[in-house]
Formats: sequence, structure tokens, C-alpha cells
Amino acid sequence: MYAFDYQRPSALDEAVALLRDLDEPKVLAGGQTLLPTLKQRLAQPGSLVDLSRIPGLSGIERRGEGLFIGAMARHAQVATSPLVQEVIPALAELAGMIGDPAVRNRGTLGGSIANNDPTADYPAACLGLGASIVTNARTLVADDFFTGLFETALGEDELVVGVEFPAPARAGYAKFRNPASRYAMAGAFVAQMADGVRVAITGAGQGGVFRWAEAEEALHADFRPESIAELTLDASDIMSDLHGSADYRAQLVKVMTLRALVAALR
Amino acid sequence: MALEMSGSYELPVTREKAWEALNDAEILKRCIPGCEELEKASDTEMKAVVVSKIGPVKAKFRGTVTLSDFNAPESYRISGEGDGGIAGFAKGGALVELTSSETGTTLVYKAEAQIGGKLAQLGQRLVAGTAKKIADEFFKNFAEAVASGDA
Repeated sequence: MYAFDYQRPSALDEAVALLRDLDEPKVLAGGQTLLPTLKQRLAQPGSLVDLSRIPGLSGIERRGEGLFIGAMARHAQVATSPLVQEVIPALAELAGMIGDPAVRNRGTLGGSIANNDPTADYPAACLGLGASIVTNARTLVADDFFTGLFETALGEDELVVGVEFPAPARAGYAKFRNPASRYAMAGAFVAQMADGVRVAITGAGQGGVFRWAEAEEALHADFRPESIAELTLDASDIMSDLHGSADYRAQLVKVMTLRALVAALR
Repeated sequence: MALEMSGSYELPVTREKAWEALNDAEILKRCIPGCEELEKASDTEMKAVVVSKIGPVKAKFRGTVTLSDFNAPESYRISGEGDGGIAGFAKGGALVELTSSETGTTLVYKAEAQIGGKLAQLGQRLVAGTAKKIADEFFKNFAEAVASGDA
């Protein structure tokens, strides 16, 4: 690890001001991606701004029909929350599938979506449920928030405060995890919402999480496995690496979509 | 680990103009994503400092950009290699071809990239997407620079 300055603000405004004023700052939420990167000396930020002492960022509450989950809510907290299990059980299940127990006890919702790893789980839930991402400055729909591989619409001095998840009529998540990293090789979040069906795919797209429009249309017409049995996903924008070719991943996406659908219908 | 990429862009200028731009260090500097310095060492060789940012990873590469295989004003090879210190190394190149079209010039590229060292070990699952993104960004920036008349 290279040397860096460490700041632990106790208010959101203070954190935003630090991000504005410090030289090459980096936000520390749960640190499950950032700290391994620093240990490997693959990044050299001037300062870390630790959000852990800012009050009110980790709550889980009902908002309208849906939920509001604070950015610093740990994965384990979401996975075991009776409220999440009641309102959006697929979301609790997804949080329980992230990484391993150590990652789930430290990693946060806000950290995961701000990093927008193309193989992370939470981006699929946000996009699949049509969630709204609330920052210190504005509210963005998930479709506008995730802009590409490791890229989001967040500004340099903008922080995720929490996420508003609308409640689906039915939803399910399924992923094929890499046995070593437990990141998704392909993951699908299928949700039947008041205004249609949404299918969000993670782990597979070269540009990160994306919506599978053909599957959405087919399932909107008829929400059952037979509707997508004949579909194939175009593999031209699908990741190809030593863990699996683009064609293999495209097939996995379909299988995961079917499994997510079966889970939603349970 | 090696990767291959390709793509094509329409440029709204003549082939000669596009060729000039491809050989202009100032324009290349503006188009290479994360390029902080690009200095001419000779007509065909430039020294470069490029900062590459992929998610949490940020590495500074020092190295050279070389132009070769000239076939004016149709094609050349642009290649680069850099040492990112502890992060590892990266090298890559692209064969760039220009053909006249009805609206101006069509640029076609075939690129390949290689990375090694710690970046390659940790970044395996990210490398393909990133290399493609960097190549796309470079040629997109180039198309924009040429179109805006800066060339």
C-alpha cells in the first residue's frame, strides 16, 4: 500500500467539501474493492474519505409501496432485513449471494453501484427494478445512472445517499457465479412491475449491466418460461475472457433469465 | 493475454486531410484517452505518458508511441507500449486504413492489445472490455477532432 491521508467526516456536507478540496481523493465505503486494489498498489489516491461515521446513511425503510435503502447499508444487513424480505424478497436474496460472508459484512450498496463493476450483483437489481439513485445533489433513474464499464453518472464530488426501490409484483434473481471470485459470469434480474416487465443482465455485457429488451417484450406479453424459450441473445457485445467465451456467456444469460423467472413465479 | 479489436468510422473530410491528422502529434495527444504527455522524439517516434483508469485501478504508463508501415495516404500502423511500474506493462497497436467515400473518408482499424504483470493477473476479467473501450474512445475522439475542423 502506498501512503495516503485519511479523513473521516461526520456529516455529508463535510464529505462533499473534502471531495471538492482534496487532491485526488477516493471515497471509502465498505472497501471491498478499493482496499484490495490499494494493497496491490494498483491505485495511489492522495486521500481516502471514509463515509462510515456519517449518520443516517445505512437505514432501510418503507417508502410508498417500495423501499429506501441507505448507501452504507451492508449486504448482510439487506439480506437479513425482515422488511426487505417482505417487500422485495428477490433483493434480499440477491444481497445474500454477493461474495462471501466477509464481503457481505463490510461491502455496501452505495459502494457497489458507484463502482459499477460489470460483474457486480446490485447494478442488476437497480436496473431490473427501475430503482432511483439518490445522491447529495439529485435523483437519477438507474437507466441514466449506469453509463458504462465502471462508469456512472456520478460527478467527482457527488455521493450516493441511498436507493429507492419500487416494489415489484413478482421478481427473481439468478446468477452463475465464478467459483473463485463469486462474481457473476452471468446474472439476470427479472421483475414484473406495474408498468411492464424488466430484465437486467449483469456479468456479461462489455459495457456493464444492460437491459435485455427482447426478453422484456416477450415476458410482458406472457410472463412464463415458454415466452423466452426460443430467444437467443446477440453475443456481439458480450464479454469474452479466459472464464468463458461470448457465445457461452450469451447462453448462460438465457439460462439465468429462465431461472430468475422461475424464481419470480415461485 | 492478447486481444483483437476492430471498428470503422466515417470522417467528413478528404482522405488527405484525415491522413495529415493521423500524423499530427498534437491531435494524437488529444485523442489518446488519458494521455498527459506526448512529445516528438523523431518523425515516427513519440514519448508518452498515459494515465489509465479502470474502476478502482489507476496506473500511469510511460513509454513510446511509434508510427510505421507508411503507405501514404492510405494506411499506417500506430503502436504503443508502456511500463506501468508495479502495475505491469501494456502494449498494443492498430493498422489504420483510410478509403475515400461519398461523404468523405472511411477509417477502418484493426487493433490488438496485450497486458502483463499484476494488471493482467488481477484484471483478467476486465481487460477485454477495457481494451475495446480505449480503442473505441481513441478513434471516436479522432473522428470528432477531424470533424470539428481542428485537424
